[in-house]
Amino acid sequence: MLNVRGLTKVYANRGDGPAGGVQGASFDLQPATFFTLLGPSGCGKTTTLRCIAGLETPDSGSIRVADSMFFDGDRGISVPMNLRRIGMVFQSYAIWPHMTVFENVAFPLRVTKGERLSGAEITQRVDEALDRVSLSGFGGRSATRLSGGQQQRVALARAIVRQPKLLLLDEPLSNLDAALRDEMRNELRRLQQQIGITTVYVTHDQTEALEMSDQIAVMERGRIVQIGTPRDIYFRPANAFVAGFVGTTNWLEGAVGEVSGPGTRSFRLDDGRMVQCTLGGGQTAERGTRVSVRPEKVVLRRGGAPATAASNRLDGTVVFAGFLGTMNRYQVDVGGTVMQAYDTADAAYAVGEKVALDFPVADTVALDA
Amino acid sequence: MSSPARNISEEPLGAAIPPLRWHVPVLAWLRRGWLGLTVAAIMAALVLPPVWTLLHASFSATQQDLSYGGFTLEHYRSLVQGRNLGNAALNSVIFALLATIVSLVFGGVLAWLVERTDVPLKGLAYVTTIISLGTPYILYVTAWLYLLGRAGPFNDLYRNWIDADAVPFNVNSLAGMVLIEGFLWSPLVFLMLSATFRAANAEMEEAARMSGASIAQTVWRISIRLAWPAILALALFVFIRNLESFEVPALVGMPGRVDVLTTEIYRSIKEMPPRLGYASAYSVVMLLMVAVLLFAYGRISRHAERYASITGKGYRPRPFRLGRARWLASGVILFNFLIVLVLPLCALLWVAFMPFMRPMRWSAVKFLTTKQFDAVLSSPHYLGLGVNTLIIAVCTATAAMVLTVLAGWLAARRQVAGSVIDQLVTVPLVFPGLVLGVALLELSLQSPVPLYGTIWLIMLAFVIRYMPYGMRYAYSGVLQIHPELEQAAAVSGATTGTTLRRVVVPLLWPAIASGWLFIFLICAKEMSLPLLLAGPDSQTISVAMFDLWSNGQGGEVAALGLIWAALMTLFASVFYAIMRRHAAKTFGH
Repeated sequence: MLNVRGLTKVYANRGDGPAGGVQGASFDLQPATFFTLLGPSGCGKTTTLRCIAGLETPDSGSIRVADSMFFDGDRGISVPMNLRRIGMVFQSYAIWPHMTVFENVAFPLRVTKGERLSGAEITQRVDEALDRVSLSGFGGRSATRLSGGQQQRVALARAIVRQPKLLLLDEPLSNLDAALRDEMRNELRRLQQQIGITTVYVTHDQTEALEMSDQIAVMERGRIVQIGTPRDIYFRPANAFVAGFVGTTNWLEGAVGEVSGPGTRSFRLDDGRMVQCTLGGGQTAERGTRVSVRPEKVVLRRGGAPATAASNRLDGTVVFAGFLGTMNRYQVDVGGTVMQAYDTADAAYAVGEKVALDFPVADTVALDA
Repeated sequence: MSSPARNISEEPLGAAIPPLRWHVPVLAWLRRGWLGLTVAAIMAALVLPPVWTLLHASFSATQQDLSYGGFTLEHYRSLVQGRNLGNAALNSVIFALLATIVSLVFGGVLAWLVERTDVPLKGLAYVTTIISLGTPYILYVTAWLYLLGRAGPFNDLYRNWIDADAVPFNVNSLAGMVLIEGFLWSPLVFLMLSATFRAANAEMEEAARMSGASIAQTVWRISIRLAWPAILALALFVFIRNLESFEVPALVGMPGRVDVLTTEIYRSIKEMPPRLGYASAYSVVMLLMVAVLLFAYGRISRHAERYASITGKGYRPRPFRLGRARWLASGVILFNFLIVLVLPLCALLWVAFMPFMRPMRWSAVKFLTTKQFDAVLSSPHYLGLGVNTLIIAVCTATAAMVLTVLAGWLAARRQVAGSVIDQLVTVPLVFPGLVLGVALLELSLQSPVPLYGTIWLIMLAFVIRYMPYGMRYAYSGVLQIHPELEQAAAVSGATTGTTLRRVVVPLLWPAIASGWLFIFLICAKEMSLPLLLAGPDSQTISVAMFDLWSNGQGGEVAALGLIWAALMTLFASVFYAIMRRHAAKTFGH
């Protein structure tokens, strides 16, 4: 559906701050995929999106949607953005204040080349789009008399009114307050699945990305470092950056050793203790110098409880215990390193108590520094 | 999807013949940049010929029939050898410097009092300023000429009370010029400096007061130091304007044989035969002076903006309490009200209602007559002039705004040729009005199309001269439009033209209207350009006022000027009211 090959767009550094841009980004999307570009600010995710939309001209690479080539650097093809028939929602919503809600949504239908719709058809399609975003009856309103969430919906209606094959969303939720953001998150996802439109979503919020996406691409300094399902990204991060950026994690320093079983390696911690680990996604060499363990994968046990199979065990002392209502959060000193662990709200360990930390070998992931 | 995109991707350019690498980007660039390149070409065609003509004429010998007679340095030689240049230049500098000081001190003190203290009558200062900005300069100047002149109330009082035969103050002198020019610019200084004082961080002053400084110490050691870059920039700006000024030197200085650069240029043009080359050489000298000063101004004002941006607190600072000095301070505001508004207005009314110029005395009241107003109102000649002026002002404002909206958008959005346009548009700023007049005069004499003496020539001159002002409105207006509003239109399928027409222009409408009104109003009162360029059939109101004054018909000048100023004020108010309502309807606030 959407094929991006070797997309490169480098900005010249103008002396104020680091140059952004994207280098050699490639990905292929199946129809109806919800695809998220995730990364910190300046990682090139918005540049990638703007290249697809046609707002920026890439330096090289190619972009193809279905059977039409939007951009091909080698053949000198660059379709102007107004001929690409893409729906896009901007970060600021970009609702035109001098038009009514109806006129805002009808605009794409009125200006699209080679397509003259009758007034009745336009009315019907706009009403349909407004209905989809639960704004029926708002058509006559002035666009300035809308709340943030309503403006968001108008922008969405405007993006889908032409029934495009591709929908681009540029951090659309970042200007909403927290409660509204959760609500819109669900609604966006529901809408996307209902009309089955291929969607590229840009965000720096890992929770949004994990909850909404079919596929996530994590970007760092202009490069895509990992593409995968939310589960892959979270539990099998490709490198230390991904593990650190998506969720919290515990780092244990050491060195990867030899093969110790099917798909597992031994890992020698700096203080000499041994644990078993798996290699991170795409990693083959033995360069891994740390392992990542998610806090919610760590189980606390009283000292002396029997070890579970396929788990690692480290002994330590509780140095901090915090009650969060839904769970307890502990910090445990395991001989120089402090590890975080989440446990159920019922279990209660006191500060200073000796505990054993168990965590599955499959979730002990060795990564490049 | 009837994809137009697919059509393009199947263009023979990409598929059938092997692509010529270089010309694909060039074509794409041309397709994206045609608008920018067109606008840049128009700008260049407007702005560059006057510069070239002036330089060319200043190095050309002129023959009897005004045709080209070869390269010569003669004009510059006579410029340097004659005593006039040194004299006029010196006068110009002294005049500009002193007038700048007068307006800066007067307007500055007023601005500080109104913005920073608890002085009463603050509203009066604003009213005075706003009304005075709408009045034609020539009207002001004539009012002041009367007030300070031989028959005026000041000299008259002196004669009545002290010495019956003396004329203690001769207005047609450098001192008279300085005073009048200084008062002419003080409202603008007031407006600009009050903005500076308002933007300044009051906490810095409060901190000084808390540290034990008196009001005077705080003002001297903190307020003025903080505002210094802004004051300096403004001073330079006013100095440049004074240097270019023509109204005051022509009306006040010329009768008293006090010559400055602008009047020297005017004189050599109006001589028979006109000494175009000599005037051009003079103009080039002035152009260079102004260019250097403007360069300095650009640097200082950029610095001033940096200084002022340390602010942004949304609260109203506590004003200085002046105590008993409040009443002294309110005297300054009253004085300003009298000097800038009441006295000139009274003088004009007096002159307009008197059959001939006579001192303001109670005994003369019986002569009051509406003869002058009748003469003006019943004359088809003045009606024609008014229509001429309106046509010129409307066409100029419209043309200039159309051009600068495109230019402002291209420059603000960094489109193809945007930065070139940005540079070109500032070129007219170095032209004093009179110098641009000289350049266009020469241009029209060489032009294959008969331009000389038509209103088209005046419009052309005005468009060139006021383009930078229109650009300021358009450019800052575009910057206030979020770029995503345009990008959303483009992604929706709109072409650049459609986006401009349906999104940019409607959103820019308030800025366009303000810019249009501004240009309209200055065109309606500007004198120096039409004075040089007007032919018998293309006279304007301000030219007529100048001619009437030169003929000694002060009463008709006053009557005509008052009617015209009233019309313009009315027009501006109605325009503003409509604009406000329109904006409220469109943007919902």
